[in-house]
Amino acid sequence: MPEVFIDGQRYEYEGDHKLLQFIQDIGLEVPFFCYHPAMSIPANCRQCMVKVGQPVQNRETGEFELDDDGNREIRWFPKLQTACNINVADGMVVRTQVTDELVQRAQKDNLEMILINHPLDCPICDQAGECPLQIQTYKYGPEGSRFEVKKVHKPKRVQLGPRVVLDAERCINCTRCTRFTQEISKTDQLTITSRGDKNYPITAPGREFDDPYSLNTVDLCPVGALTAADFRFKARVWEMNQTPSIDITNGKGCNIDIWTRDNLVLRVTPRQNEHVNDYWMPDEGRLAYTRFNENRISRPAQKLDGEQILSSWNNAIATIAEQIEEHKNEETLVIGSAHASVEENYVLSKFSNMMGLNNPVFTPHIEEGKGDGFLISDDIAPNTNGCRLLGFDEKDPKSIANQIEKASLILILSDDLIDRGVLASEHFEGKFVIAFGTNHSKTTKNADLVIPITSAAEHAASYVNVDGRIQRTIPAKETKYTNRRLNLEMSEGRLDRYGTSFDNWVTEDNKVDCMPLWLFISQVANESGLELDYSDYSAGRQIMDEIAESIPAFKGVNYQKMDEESGIQLDSSAKKVKS
Amino acid sequence: MSSVDWKNYKPTLIPDIDGLEKIDVYEKNGGYKAFKSVLTENDKWPDEKSVIDEVKAANIRGRGGAGFNAGLKWSFMPPADGKPRYLACNGDESEPGTFKDRKIFEYNPHVFIEGALIAAYAMQVTTIYVYIRGEYLVYVKMMEKAIQDAYDKGYIGKNILGSDYSVDFYVHMGAGAYICGEETSMLESLEGKRGYPRVKPPFPAQKGLWGRPTTINNIETLAHVPSVINNGADWFSSIGAENHPGPFLYGISGHVNRPGVYELPSGVPVLDLIHEVAGGMRNDKKLKAVIPGGSSTPVVRADQLEGITMDSDSLRSVGTMVGTAGMVIMDEDTDMVDMLWRIAHFYHHESCGQCTPCREGTGWLEKVLLKIKNGEGEVKDLDLLLDVTTQMEGRTICALADAAAWPVRHTINRFRDEFEARCKKSVHAVA
Repeated sequence: MPEVFIDGQRYEYEGDHKLLQFIQDIGLEVPFFCYHPAMSIPANCRQCMVKVGQPVQNRETGEFELDDDGNREIRWFPKLQTACNINVADGMVVRTQVTDELVQRAQKDNLEMILINHPLDCPICDQAGECPLQIQTYKYGPEGSRFEVKKVHKPKRVQLGPRVVLDAERCINCTRCTRFTQEISKTDQLTITSRGDKNYPITAPGREFDDPYSLNTVDLCPVGALTAADFRFKARVWEMNQTPSIDITNGKGCNIDIWTRDNLVLRVTPRQNEHVNDYWMPDEGRLAYTRFNENRISRPAQKLDGEQILSSWNNAIATIAEQIEEHKNEETLVIGSAHASVEENYVLSKFSNMMGLNNPVFTPHIEEGKGDGFLISDDIAPNTNGCRLLGFDEKDPKSIANQIEKASLILILSDDLIDRGVLASEHFEGKFVIAFGTNHSKTTKNADLVIPITSAAEHAASYVNVDGRIQRTIPAKETKYTNRRLNLEMSEGRLDRYGTSFDNWVTEDNKVDCMPLWLFISQVANESGLELDYSDYSAGRQIMDEIAESIPAFKGVNYQKMDEESGIQLDSSAKKVKS
Repeated sequence: MSSVDWKNYKPTLIPDIDGLEKIDVYEKNGGYKAFKSVLTENDKWPDEKSVIDEVKAANIRGRGGAGFNAGLKWSFMPPADGKPRYLACNGDESEPGTFKDRKIFEYNPHVFIEGALIAAYAMQVTTIYVYIRGEYLVYVKMMEKAIQDAYDKGYIGKNILGSDYSVDFYVHMGAGAYICGEETSMLESLEGKRGYPRVKPPFPAQKGLWGRPTTINNIETLAHVPSVINNGADWFSSIGAENHPGPFLYGISGHVNRPGVYELPSGVPVLDLIHEVAGGMRNDKKLKAVIPGGSSTPVVRADQLEGITMDSDSLRSVGTMVGTAGMVIMDEDTDMVDMLWRIAHFYHHESCGQCTPCREGTGWLEKVLLKIKNGEGEVKDLDLLLDVTTQMEGRTICALADAAAWPVRHTINRFRDEFEARCKKSVHAVA
């Protein structure tokens, strides 16, 4: 097997590798800025300099020439090489900053160069704390600067487009953003303008950077040159908790990280998953972070004399139990939701069966022509395939409306059927409508009883995307009934661990009074004298085990496997479901 | 050192013939004979390789500054596969002190066109581009006319002179960027992109214009080809210095009485060029320094010049290079600090900004030099400048960082006393 020697260590390899990627793959480090594994390699930041050589081979025998000590004689490249664009070759000898002083010096020199025109405004820069330039400078940079003349001044606070703001002075011209629009989103909206130390990325005159994927450039930017208009100056990264999750704004199910502080979701960033979204996500999914914070339903509400007033959980449980008992089973309609998780839909259908009600129906939420063949799908809902695999009756909007007319008690799970035109508010007249939801909507506003349930940011539950891949969320923010320190799955940020009551960001203000659907439904079942025990806040794990045992399409699915394999592709029969 | 007999040399590129830019006059004076011979005289030129071999043997070293054997470069082209292949002719000459190619465009465009056609045939190129800097608007127009004349005469186009070889020839105008004279950057510019030099490998012969095999040659280099074909490789390599043979277009500028472009053999003594060819120093001033081949080549002090000739070996002995043979002659009144600041300003202005060391380093150099020029520098700044040049050299994609670093390093080293005199003493606090 071919071999390569890095800092005196021997490594075997197979296939073609770029040296920098190889070094990262084996767990070593060489600093860099412009390289990105998903894009072309411009080798322009010149940071990943290493010393590279090849052993000298005898031309006739092909054997390696040995020096006096019996070691292979190495012919070094006359100049230092950038590791990013050099191919790993058999017998190659590499010295990084760890073992070579010249390499160390070159990397330090380069950082000094990058920093001479870079404003040292880290204390007010959004990137500080997660800034490759800051990190590499601390690790490999010079202790001070010898630059005593005037820095270059360039445009600041340039609104490139609706979502991205540029500070050209911070830009180090790595061209990651321009390459992204050329190679990944393919809109070619950004280019570098001007020459030399005056250059910076910009759009063509009069054009906007309104690429539907524009915010990815903010993640790609290795400094604070590109910032999100929405997130600028909102929070320091070290104040936030980062929780892996799934984008629920469309059917693709991009893997994301949810960033919270004081139980407010402040931003959403993509998380790498080569099977789904690689390193990217659409802007739409990021901007949906507000739905976790704003317009939330908190505490159950019941309609009295045509007006919804806040109620109590006990009353809500008793009312549902009463209503189901009052109405004939055939007059009751249970509507599942492609916007809710597999677990929630499963518990609803199980409850429905136990009560002798109908098998839940659902109608997919599709917007024809919205999809772009990349990470935006026609399917607006994150779990359409989940509902199908659970065996729900898939109805078109018209037949749902017909069924509603026949019913007198309606249970609707987390789906704004009125707003998306499936129903009109007149359909609810003369009926008792129970709506489970996370956010106020036209549907919940017209319901007789509104039950607040947890959102994807508050519970652990799974969703099956348009390609039949099941992936799960992890609770990122607390509700009135959960505690970060007691829920082993929730991430603890610095402030949770070290903050005191004097740290004013730990408040009760942003905790929503809601509970997971399974917990609430269990209580309703118990009220009706039935046995249903999902009384744990984190029962999602147990519910999924139950689903895996009882429904063939979910065979072998469990939370641990989903976590280890970043989601599970359900079997081929499941893949055939219509997207 | 064998002295070169330059006084009896008869020019071939820019001979003293009236109206040579007209195709009829050019043909009357033996023009396009070489190209016809290559295409039609099968006994003399049985195949393309024979042409390449002849040019290789002549050892035409690239006149764009790098000095690489042109024939050898041609031989790097992969075998023709019926798909497009390109010859890109570099007429972007933008290096301060260099103004030789314009002489060819102006006085003898057809010798270049003929040379390019022979090169194109030898490499079985399908399209020729000549990239001319935007400032040469007049010459762009002249070249366009000359090329059209050659089309009309049937030297360019389909089945040239009844052979099965066809080629097209286009003029492409630059837009005023020095970096577009760097060969790979020129390819980007030809493709309509921003002039960023490309990372090598892949080399242009493998992946050049639009990813196809491409050879890039300087205008003067190609202009030498017809005479090599007409007179043979031995004739060419017998002219001038042994290791760097052939005629040179010396572009002499600065404080001399008769600045201009002179066609002479390579290896002419520098002092002969100044005192005899260019008519001596202006106002009878004393010679102070010479930049031998464009602003990026290290400056040489007058006292180093005795016996030095214009070829790579001799110039190497005083730590400089022949470059483009664009000589800048400076007299005793020249302020070396000002001169160096002006050069540094040029490279700062022209750095494309792709690589960190060049983008940031060129500006740093200029700003510190400006400080010294204004009398605000300190002696420690000189050492800082030397440090910055080592931080730039050899660490970038193209050679612009080197070109910017060398003059700074060598001018400071060779005229350090003058720089120190402009600096304030470094003041160290005494407890």
